[in-house]
Amino acid sequence: MDEEKLFAARLHAVRCRPYLATALFALHPVESQHVPTMAVDEHWRCYVSPRFVDSMPLAMLAGVWVHEVSHLLRDHHGRGDRYAAEHELTGPGERLRMNIAADCEINDDVFGHGLPRPKGSVHPRDLKLPSGLLMEEYLGQFTLGPWTDDWAWLECGSGADGLVRPWDLGPDGAHGLSEHERDAIRFLVAQGIKGNPGDVPEGWQRWAEEAFHPPQPWRELLGAALRSAISGAGEDYTYGRPARRSASLPGVVLPSLRRRPPRVYVIVDTSGSVSDAELGSAILEIAAITRALGGRRDHVSVLSCDAAVHVTGPLCQAEGIPLIGGGGTDLRAGFDTALRGRPDAIVALTDGQTPWPVARPSCRTVVGLFNRPRRPEDSDYVPDQPPAWAKVVTVG
Amino acid sequence: MPIAMENPALDAAADLLALLHDTTTEPRADSQLEALTLAVSADLPVLLWGEPGIGKTAALNHLADSLDLPLTTVIASVHEPSDFSGLPVVGDDPAVQGVPMAPPDWAVQLVRAGQGLLFLDELSTAPPAVQAALLRLVLERRVGTLRLPPGVRIVAAANPRSSAADGWELSPPLANRFVHLQWTYDHDVVVRGLGGTWPRAALPRLDPRRLHDSVAFARRAVCELLAARPGLVHQLPKNETRRGGAWPSPRSWEMTLRLIAFATAADTTRDVLSMLVRGAVGDGPGLELLASMDRMDLPDPETLLADPASAVLPERGDLRQTVLDGVVAAVRKRPDQSRWDAAWALLVLALETGAPDLVVVPATTLAALRRDDWQVPAAIERLAGVVSLSQRADRAVGGPK
Repeated sequence: MDEEKLFAARLHAVRCRPYLATALFALHPVESQHVPTMAVDEHWRCYVSPRFVDSMPLAMLAGVWVHEVSHLLRDHHGRGDRYAAEHELTGPGERLRMNIAADCEINDDVFGHGLPRPKGSVHPRDLKLPSGLLMEEYLGQFTLGPWTDDWAWLECGSGADGLVRPWDLGPDGAHGLSEHERDAIRFLVAQGIKGNPGDVPEGWQRWAEEAFHPPQPWRELLGAALRSAISGAGEDYTYGRPARRSASLPGVVLPSLRRRPPRVYVIVDTSGSVSDAELGSAILEIAAITRALGGRRDHVSVLSCDAAVHVTGPLCQAEGIPLIGGGGTDLRAGFDTALRGRPDAIVALTDGQTPWPVARPSCRTVVGLFNRPRRPEDSDYVPDQPPAWAKVVTVG
Repeated sequence: MPIAMENPALDAAADLLALLHDTTTEPRADSQLEALTLAVSADLPVLLWGEPGIGKTAALNHLADSLDLPLTTVIASVHEPSDFSGLPVVGDDPAVQGVPMAPPDWAVQLVRAGQGLLFLDELSTAPPAVQAALLRLVLERRVGTLRLPPGVRIVAAANPRSSAADGWELSPPLANRFVHLQWTYDHDVVVRGLGGTWPRAALPRLDPRRLHDSVAFARRAVCELLAARPGLVHQLPKNETRRGGAWPSPRSWEMTLRLIAFATAADTTRDVLSMLVRGAVGDGPGLELLASMDRMDLPDPETLLADPASAVLPERGDLRQTVLDGVVAAVRKRPDQSRWDAAWALLVLALETGAPDLVVVPATTLAALRRDDWQVPAAIERLAGVVSLSQRADRAVGGPK
């Protein structure tokens, strides 16, 4: 095998993608006649076909290095296994589909800037799919068929799809990395990207952010934030009233559980580009959570901070939520009104384009922030960030 | 009373149930069980996070069986705060005698037994007042006027926020007192367990000769990191996703120190230690500690420079690169001809025993450190291949068709 060419390619890859250097150097190459091109296993070994090294131009070979290490950094074998278990998928056909989907996730931002795209590599647009999605999202959107025939030979190894190959050296073979070592490398690479995001493509920046803290669905987060904001107010033990079981235990002072339904005010900022559907689902969510906590319908109040009463109107009528309309696009007015009702918690649903109250309100506050790209006409207007005393959940 | 005993149908049912309960255990590498056992033996409160019904309670039963400890299960969410802080009992003259806080009977029995496994189930669904009362139980081991004996170990379980239908959030002070372990089920373990064989937990065997070294190593590992990264000492969870989980504070760092010492004395794998450390201080600080421990294991550049002939470089490429960079940095710090020569000898060794591309950058940097009056060592000849490799990579920038 032309090892010099293989290692020169790795050096070139490190020069083009310095933020992946640790991972590229941690990969252990193993010469193998069984793999068609280059393939990885989950223990960070890279099986290389000598013929493939001879046939590829050096810069393209460097691209393949980066491609293979991306499979490992992005934990495609673990995710492939989890997806297979969840959807009860078996057989080599499904694993080929996982390899194709994993390649789609990688290839849309791995090449370019010194690393030309190798011939025959998969790009989401070949499957008429948008780029920038995750492997799991691609998996739900295509099946094998004549349009995937070109990639029937695709083979990135068990590191890409989780299916153990006959040539894999296994966990006990030489130069394998343990789970802890793999985590440590992924962590170092992610820290490097987060610390110096300058030239790093957006896909890798997103990966670095989420590598150890995958984002949670906003519904769960909003629910948890609201629950903890209301906690202590709705239901708690008190010695103020004797417990019902006191009669059976004379001489022992027992607390009783007292339940007071929490009062929640929802301030809705309808001035921005928030869609009706998003608003509706967010408000329904809040109403459901408060009900689950023992709140009755009349304990959820919705304030709309704009004239767009029609958005929330029908919904609130259907749900029995009284709607107090009026006010400007300034959420401070909404906070003032809400605080007069002595709520246990305030939930503000907004896209953040508003001034915030200067002082901390007397109750806990949850801000559901609709994540919006800034409109160009607002470019000179910088909105204040939600204040530190609020629990901020990005919604949608 | 013994009507049931005379009922033949129920006798058969009892026999059948006994047969179903009759399971055996086998030794089996199970890192989450190993982590749990290690934390239990280190006398740190453990909190198991896991979806309902995946066998947290069953695992605890097996653990208690194999450690031969009586298991006391207390479901936190159905108890009142006074069950943990003690029930105030009004006596004849409270002004003279005071109001004693009577402990509940499970606590009395635990104290009488002198040892046991206290399992606090459904922790995250307990109301805030109950959680506040649990703080004292978990940290000070006090229930009312009773103090739990040192032989009692505390394990708790909670459902993650996503699956706890009406769960309260675990408050940061309570969360900080636990080692958090994510409990997932292993398909093979479940299938084999339902077949009648569960994995066996065994207390880690601590090597008496390594106790002193383990403590020294643990202290050095934690202190080296915290000296370099003061920001990691205390970080309240700010992010909504991380609330209720592990976070770094002097208290959880002390727990980490204990875990490292135990893991070192028991010669546990780094994978298990990784779970425990991340469970004590959180993912980010935990991984940084582990990365810094990996670097502690690397050979010291000065030792390598002093005797390059007997040097052994790490196998793993990225670690080898770190060592070589460290050697070059050491020469740069205190440059003289003999150290420079020794560094070249190390680079040649690296070239002969591993991938050549790792040597390129250190070699270029080292060459640039040369003073005019230094003789070029003969060893440099052997690095000619590296130069051509580097040039080949350079040519690729032109972009071949």
